[in-house]
Amino acid sequence: MTTQRGPAPAPTQKPQRLVVGIDLGTTNSLAAVRAGKQARVLRDAQGEPLIPSVVCFHPDGRTIVGREAKALRLSFPDRTVFSVKRLVGRAASECGAEARVLPYRVVAGERDLPRVQVGDRQFTPEAISALVLQQVKATAESALGQPVEQAVVTVPAWFDDAQRQATKDAAALAGLDCLRILNEPTAAALAYGIDGNKDGTVLVYDLGGGTFDVSILRIEDGVFRVLSTAGDTHLGGDDFDALLAERILAALPRTAAVPAADPYVLQAVRAAAEGLKIRLSSETSAELELDLGAAGTAKLRIARSEFEATIAPLVQRTLDCVQRALKDANVRIDQLDEVVLVGGSTRVPLVRARLAAFTGKQPHTEVDPDLAVALGASIQADVLAGNDRSLLLLDVIPLSLGIETLGGAVQKLILRNSTIPTHRTEEFSTGVDDQTAVDLAIHQGERELARDCRLLGRFKLRGIPPMPAGLPRIAVTFLVDADGVLRVTAREQRTGVEAGIQVVPSYGLSRDEVKRMMLESIEHAQQDYLAREAIDVRNKAEAMVRGTQKALQLAELPPDQTYAVHKALAALRKLLAAGAGAASLKAGCDDLTRVTATIADDVIGAAVAKALREEQQR
Amino acid sequence: MIHVPAPDPFTVFGLPRSLDLDERALESRYLRLSRDCHPDLHRAADTGDCIAVLQRAAEINDAWRVLRDPWQRARALLELLSPGALDRHKRLDPVFLAEALDLAEEVARADAAAAPALRARLQAALAADFAALRDAMQRGDCDAAARVCHASHYHQKALADLDAKS
Repeated sequence: MTTQRGPAPAPTQKPQRLVVGIDLGTTNSLAAVRAGKQARVLRDAQGEPLIPSVVCFHPDGRTIVGREAKALRLSFPDRTVFSVKRLVGRAASECGAEARVLPYRVVAGERDLPRVQVGDRQFTPEAISALVLQQVKATAESALGQPVEQAVVTVPAWFDDAQRQATKDAAALAGLDCLRILNEPTAAALAYGIDGNKDGTVLVYDLGGGTFDVSILRIEDGVFRVLSTAGDTHLGGDDFDALLAERILAALPRTAAVPAADPYVLQAVRAAAEGLKIRLSSETSAELELDLGAAGTAKLRIARSEFEATIAPLVQRTLDCVQRALKDANVRIDQLDEVVLVGGSTRVPLVRARLAAFTGKQPHTEVDPDLAVALGASIQADVLAGNDRSLLLLDVIPLSLGIETLGGAVQKLILRNSTIPTHRTEEFSTGVDDQTAVDLAIHQGERELARDCRLLGRFKLRGIPPMPAGLPRIAVTFLVDADGVLRVTAREQRTGVEAGIQVVPSYGLSRDEVKRMMLESIEHAQQDYLAREAIDVRNKAEAMVRGTQKALQLAELPPDQTYAVHKALAALRKLLAAGAGAASLKAGCDDLTRVTATIADDVIGAAVAKALREEQQR
Repeated sequence: MIHVPAPDPFTVFGLPRSLDLDERALESRYLRLSRDCHPDLHRAADTGDCIAVLQRAAEINDAWRVLRDPWQRARALLELLSPGALDRHKRLDPVFLAEALDLAEEVARADAAAAPALRARLQAALAADFAALRDAMQRGDCDAAARVCHASHYHQKALADLDAKS
């Protein structure tokens, strides 16, 4: 926490180069920063660190992000977008199962890319993620009192190349320079092994809202080395909710006038299901009576044992992944020193019990599972900012990369769980005389046939000098960088001519699209800035009112000063109630600061500062 | 600008070209090299990852993957001592090939009860392969060493298949 002398939260330190860590989650997002050796999450004016990854496109034209948007999801189910992380970097046809249970519309855009349809507008998943990231950025800037431009953004370890690239694009659209894409379980391991002095082998089990990851790490002399990772990008707490939602829908009367697929019904049922799940984590049974108006009333009682039986197959799937990760790491269960739990869904008792039974170890839960990833990301951010050279992360690529050969088979070039960065150079030639171009299809996945892997994109090598067939020797280098993202370069060996590469990505945005969207966002930047400033000033004014009120109760003041403070306070409250603009609010804040600050040595100055500090730490 | 082939893993690690490397020393060398060269610790103030730094880090990671595995290390060494030897001896003795196919069948049939004995047998076969390889290398007979490398591949594959079943 920055210390402040007066009630006005002005930063006392001069701004320094600052890189934040951002956990861009399926359900919630948040930022953290590390100063000195202390990592801390950044909270909004209400003291909340978690920002729901929810965007509401209000019918009145406003775009609302975060807690307020989440509250609106029952009012505007078809205009409130959540869990968009499940769509990022994927094809619309792959999202069919998701889209059916989502109350908002997902349609197929060009190149079969998913688009979220709200009214007559369409949004890419990247653009929605960017709105969430902007909110995280704004919250971080308010909390830090300085601009935030660089960040480390986390992704599930199991994310493939397209999903990583899409996340980087979302960061760029949000005006953030993403210094590193970091795997979530690796980040969590950092949060736990902060000093890097605890050598050992660690299993990180990360069950979030929409994704599951497991990583095995070896920590030695401050080097965090990932030995293997496994997971499922479509397995998480949302799936637990969906199973409970089915139970609720089944409890609705069949004769109901409104079909169960109605977005309002779906959204209300999902919200109720989530509530049930949370209650069943602490209670052995829970009752629900959900009045859905014309759709009828769902009344049910569910025991924790029933819930556990329902989700048991999903939990087993996570344990299968754990098994695979151990095997790939060449680590036996009894060689594990620590087991670490991350992700909100690890609060479900069955998950903890099954993992404890499987590993024979009591899992660590000291760090809040919702905050661990962001805290770890802030540590890596600090390393990248050049402030800490004692730590080093060595991560792996989760899925093998290969090229399609004749007959539709995939020749693996880079194997899964290879430490990144890694590269491989392959030689290719031409099939006919004077051929000047060669097409390469790059796939990611473990299966043998191209059609069973994910086609990441087509690389077209151009400008090969005309030669008889088979004579050109084109060396193509596949480099997987430290973000786990592929870069391809090519060169004809005999002539040394650099072959041009044209990349046609199968998923996500092309480079041109990213550029265009960024230009558009710069046009909106001024508008966004004003809107954000208004929010910041308002938050500050509200905090000052609360702080001063508290201080007035504590302090005994001479009557004339009491009068002056009360007068300024009343004026500011009036401005707030009237929804005054940023400029008037700022003036009101300044007035209040003046009357409290002129009595510098007086008790009220100290009391206000203290109350404000408490307010911010809350 | 002709493509420069990546340096061999022994050169990357600054180690003598030898089949026998101390694994513990190899690992600590890997960690030290990573600290010296990883892009996370070597960023220019305001630019992204420099391609040369990425390539150097990739070389270290790739060399480590080869050197830590005795068989991959052996292949890399063979390629250095006698370029093309591995390619020249790809054709296997038909008798051995028949044995390898029988072995694959046995692995496919093996149930949980038979697995431990079969695993022990395969591990012993691989140990014998490696002894033969070391022997051939010491004699300077790269051709024989290349043949052993190819032959051992079937034992390795059989063992991997057996492990995949459990």
